[in-house]
Amino acid sequence: MSHTLDIVAQNVLWNRLVSVCEEQANALMRAAFGAIVREAGDLSAGVFDANGDMLAQAVTGTPGHVNTMAASVRAMLAFVPADSLKPGDVLVTNDPWLGAGHVFDFVVVTPAFLDGDIVGYLASTSHIVDIGGRGWSAEAASVHEEGVTFPVMHLRRGKALNEDLLAIVTANSRVPHEARGDILSLLSCNDTGVARLLDLMGEYGLADLVSVAEFIFERSAIGTKKALARAAQGVYENTMMLDGYDAPIELRARMTISDGAIAVDLSGSSPAVGRGINCPLNYSAAYASFGIRALLTPDIPNNQASLDAITITAEPGLVVSAERPSPVSARHVIGQALPDLMLGCLEQALPGEVLAESAGALWTLSLSGAGKTPFTSLNVALGGMGARPETDGLSTTAFPSGVGSVPVEAAEVAAPVIYHAKEFICDSGGAGQYRGGLGQRIEIGSRINEDMFMSAAAFERLTSGPEGRQNGKRGANGKVSITDGTEVTDKGMYRIPAGERVILQTPGGGGYGAPAARDQTALDRDVADGLVSQNSAREIYKPK
Amino acid sequence: MIKFSIDIGGTFTDVVAETETGLTSVKVLTTPASPDRGALDGMGRLLANLGKTYADISAVIHGTTLATNALIERRGAKTAFVTTAGFRDVLDMRYEKRFEQYDLNIEMPKSLVARPLRLGIKERILADGSVYQAPQDDEIDALAATLLREKVEAVAIGFLHSYRNPAHEAYVADRLQKTLGDTVTICQSADVACEIREYERFSTVCANAYVRPLMSKYLGALKAELNRLGFDGSFLMMLSGGGLTTLDQAMRFPIRLVESGPAGGVALAAHVAREVGSNKTLSLDIGGTTAKICFICDGNPHTTRRFEVARAWRDVKGSGLPVRVPTVELVEIGAGGGSIAGVDTLGRLKVGPRSAGSDPGPAAYGRGGGDATITDAHLTVGNIAAEGFAGGMISLTPENAPKVIAQHVQGPMGIADVDTAAAGIIELADETMANAARVHGIELGHDIASFDLLVSGGGGALHAARIAEKLGIRRIIVPQNAGVGSAVGFLRSPVAFESALSVMAVLAEVDAPELTQRVVDQLAHVRAIVGEAVPADHIDATVKFELRYQGQGLEVALDYPADSFVIDAAKLEAEFFRRYENLVGFTLKNIPVELVSVSVTAREKRGLDTQDFTPQNANDPVATRQVFDLAAQKRLTYQTLKRSSLGPTLTQGPAVVTEDQTTTLVRPGWSVHTSDQGHLILDRSEA
Repeated sequence: MSHTLDIVAQNVLWNRLVSVCEEQANALMRAAFGAIVREAGDLSAGVFDANGDMLAQAVTGTPGHVNTMAASVRAMLAFVPADSLKPGDVLVTNDPWLGAGHVFDFVVVTPAFLDGDIVGYLASTSHIVDIGGRGWSAEAASVHEEGVTFPVMHLRRGKALNEDLLAIVTANSRVPHEARGDILSLLSCNDTGVARLLDLMGEYGLADLVSVAEFIFERSAIGTKKALARAAQGVYENTMMLDGYDAPIELRARMTISDGAIAVDLSGSSPAVGRGINCPLNYSAAYASFGIRALLTPDIPNNQASLDAITITAEPGLVVSAERPSPVSARHVIGQALPDLMLGCLEQALPGEVLAESAGALWTLSLSGAGKTPFTSLNVALGGMGARPETDGLSTTAFPSGVGSVPVEAAEVAAPVIYHAKEFICDSGGAGQYRGGLGQRIEIGSRINEDMFMSAAAFERLTSGPEGRQNGKRGANGKVSITDGTEVTDKGMYRIPAGERVILQTPGGGGYGAPAARDQTALDRDVADGLVSQNSAREIYKPK
Repeated sequence: MIKFSIDIGGTFTDVVAETETGLTSVKVLTTPASPDRGALDGMGRLLANLGKTYADISAVIHGTTLATNALIERRGAKTAFVTTAGFRDVLDMRYEKRFEQYDLNIEMPKSLVARPLRLGIKERILADGSVYQAPQDDEIDALAATLLREKVEAVAIGFLHSYRNPAHEAYVADRLQKTLGDTVTICQSADVACEIREYERFSTVCANAYVRPLMSKYLGALKAELNRLGFDGSFLMMLSGGGLTTLDQAMRFPIRLVESGPAGGVALAAHVAREVGSNKTLSLDIGGTTAKICFICDGNPHTTRRFEVARAWRDVKGSGLPVRVPTVELVEIGAGGGSIAGVDTLGRLKVGPRSAGSDPGPAAYGRGGGDATITDAHLTVGNIAAEGFAGGMISLTPENAPKVIAQHVQGPMGIADVDTAAAGIIELADETMANAARVHGIELGHDIASFDLLVSGGGGALHAARIAEKLGIRRIIVPQNAGVGSAVGFLRSPVAFESALSVMAVLAEVDAPELTQRVVDQLAHVRAIVGEAVPADHIDATVKFELRYQGQGLEVALDYPADSFVIDAAKLEAEFFRRYENLVGFTLKNIPVELVSVSVTAREKRGLDTQDFTPQNANDPVATRQVFDLAAQKRLTYQTLKRSSLGPTLTQGPAVVTEDQTTTLVRPGWSVHTSDQGHLILDRSEA
């Protein structure tokens, strides 16, 4: 084969590797039991070279899984050396510090053998519905209460499934058969990926992935460096205040942009807290680098080289770098705030090119039976995305998370709840030349007239809404109350008595640019649509 | 007797007449202001040529993209949406999910109904179908007054859980109609798409209401004009799902027409597949900007009820309006003759999805196009010849082709020669299409190497052999008359109607007698619709169940006989396990199997009314052409043959077969001949 042919073939191979992962991810999504994986895509899948460096990954998937998994393979091989692995072997862990930041996420890694040698690995991650412990809440005082942790171990040895592991899962989970099925679907989607990878190598007569890996890493490194050069070099700082569990938390970042690399130090952020909203550094790094990459390198595929250009560090023991045994179940409350923290740094390097702050962390809406009838209902309540430099923010749309909501009809079929309303909130989008996305009002009660529990673990931004940019105004803060008069003020568990309802109001996105600069037609349309009140139009947008 | 088919697209209107002696066709420009004019003009010309009148026409079959275009261009009726109080924003909230993770600037499609006309009414049905709150007459009447004041032309009604109990929608529709009168169109979501998931159902009913006034007016006028001209035969409409329906049904559910053009193309492919006895067929249509793939098993195209129209963001999947109606399942790939090749920010070769279209078109068209397209690559390597391109309708400037490839691909990538660069472009396009077929085939659980590849469109036959090699496919079919494929496909389609019921219940707990009754009623309903155009003893019916493990997204479809229909849960479950194991590799213990939905279809039984064709081998002098081969890294000698000269005798590749609309590339290792029906068949003669 000539060199020129190599370029075309390498090109094709790269695309095919992405397609292998895509197929793996689709297989996983179809086989998953949790609505949050199935409807919303809370998963990832990727192919790695023999060194454990990520070559390609499915475009389906959410950033928290995607970017953590890149490091998981090598981390897991540190516990079980590659040379001890045999064909058929499969490794698994749900260790929050090796996987995706909480015990619900299982990472499964399968080596691909060709002629007796490991040529690469297939890995996948997804959210398992329940793994024991306290279930989904921030109430645990340590990770030990949050469910069963499986250190790195074999899920399969040769042809033999590790039934002991699966028995421990089924003994501890509140939904044992689904949890077992979800873990098996990770195993099976990797098997699919291995088969496709070997087919591909056979088709192209490859004995290893070394040359295609070099091609991918070299091209990605050059492309990333070029793209990062758009941002002015320098050191930029930003801070952000969150509500915290029951006391405010500060997040700090110091971002250094140098030639072709970005280094972020999160030191100085608040120390880890006693409830489960702490975030392991791997998950913090995943979301922080997602924020940077979405703005600066959106066209460059995820792989070791494109991720290596961005490093995230922090001194240990902070809320962004929690250590065992800190509780971490709702780690996304902190992790998903980090893209906005990063974008605030980048605004200084690229003034006028950065969207306003968004509602941030997904509001996980976890309801369960507190009366005679046991049930759990998991959904998300989404707020507004920040306004963009040339357009309004998207209303009630997840960002930075990539998941969506479960439809009301599907949620009501699955659990005895009634959604009484789900509607935009007027004036919740931050005012600006471009308006922030709107938040929504959701009202829910019991269908069977029994008490319900609700975890408030992820209801963030209740005290101040997302900030605007370039003189844009803040979006509305969130608000959660129960019709018996209870106001949600911390991230604990709340009881919704029979006959009462919970009313959630999600935050709106920040506005972009001065409100007075808003196009009159756009403002008139918002008023006609009832998205901006006449009063706000008069007082905030166009004061006399 | 004469049968006519009319396919009205955005640019061209194809009219085809079929008589005892064969097909004749005419292509005219679409007349957007009154599309019937172009169609009638075409019919008039064909009738004059045939020496016949409108009274001689036994049937007119019509398909059109008018509804689709009205949705894309937002030219539909002033529509209101009446929904459960508190849920009017479902239309704008959509899935509350970004369809692209790394693009911060995406825009969502605007909903068809502006917020002031999305009106809530206090009523509620629960998930089990029971009534929580009944709608009140005074509120309905107040709403009617608002609709009158706003002078709305169409009303879409969508209430939560109406797929389970449509009573409230029906009641409100009835009462509104009494006040609003017959001039206002009213559509109910449970009628249009009786399926769970409120956003998709509401989106579908709004789209239907939005295009219905326009479509009923247009179709009514066309029918009246045909009758005035003396036509007295049956008038049928092509549906997105690949069947035909009556004019009345089409006017009630115009949203079911949105993909009728592509469905016609697939219908023709399915017909050809039946003619040549291909039971497993992969249809690939390569046009100017996109390629479309569809799997056809036993002559029936694969259909889906998940479809989206009017994509709002760079044609990205997920950025359109979902419509839940039966549609032939086409996977679309941004690679066609006009697709532009170049080098991306990472220095990688990229082909499509950007396209030079037909204006300015490929650089070789000499109309000012400066981009390197797939067509330019074909010219450069010698796959197509400049002489006689498109039947001589387009005169080429062939020297432009290697120039733009050198400029945009060879130079930037540092490739030694322009032939290799051009062959690389074609190889990447082949790979992209083969891969899309591979991935989709796996999703459907097919062993793709056991399929035949049936190609159409200007580029299909050029790419077929290499794509087949990549997929392990050993037989290729290049049909006759591929140029006006959709319109011919209409003539080959059965009258059919499909309807779905959402069930969402654990299979073991389903009230079998009750559900059996619902399905039997639904079967009677779809049979009656088809029965409007077809005698009862010419109708086949099928029932399809969709099952899954409770909580899982993977839905498995099982076909079930419709005759003396009774639900047998145990049998269904056993069949589900078998199919699941086949797809996934294992089955699960202790997880209930859920019945998601039941769909029923009535379909006209049709024979294979084919026309005989006697292929003859002509003894034309053999010419040759030098074609660059990527693997060999040099030009190989291909013999060039006219399609009309090919008969039943095998001709060994390498060869190029030319005809007006396309060129067939018979690569080394393949042979070609003409079948008894006039289709080209390529066989892989070596591994």
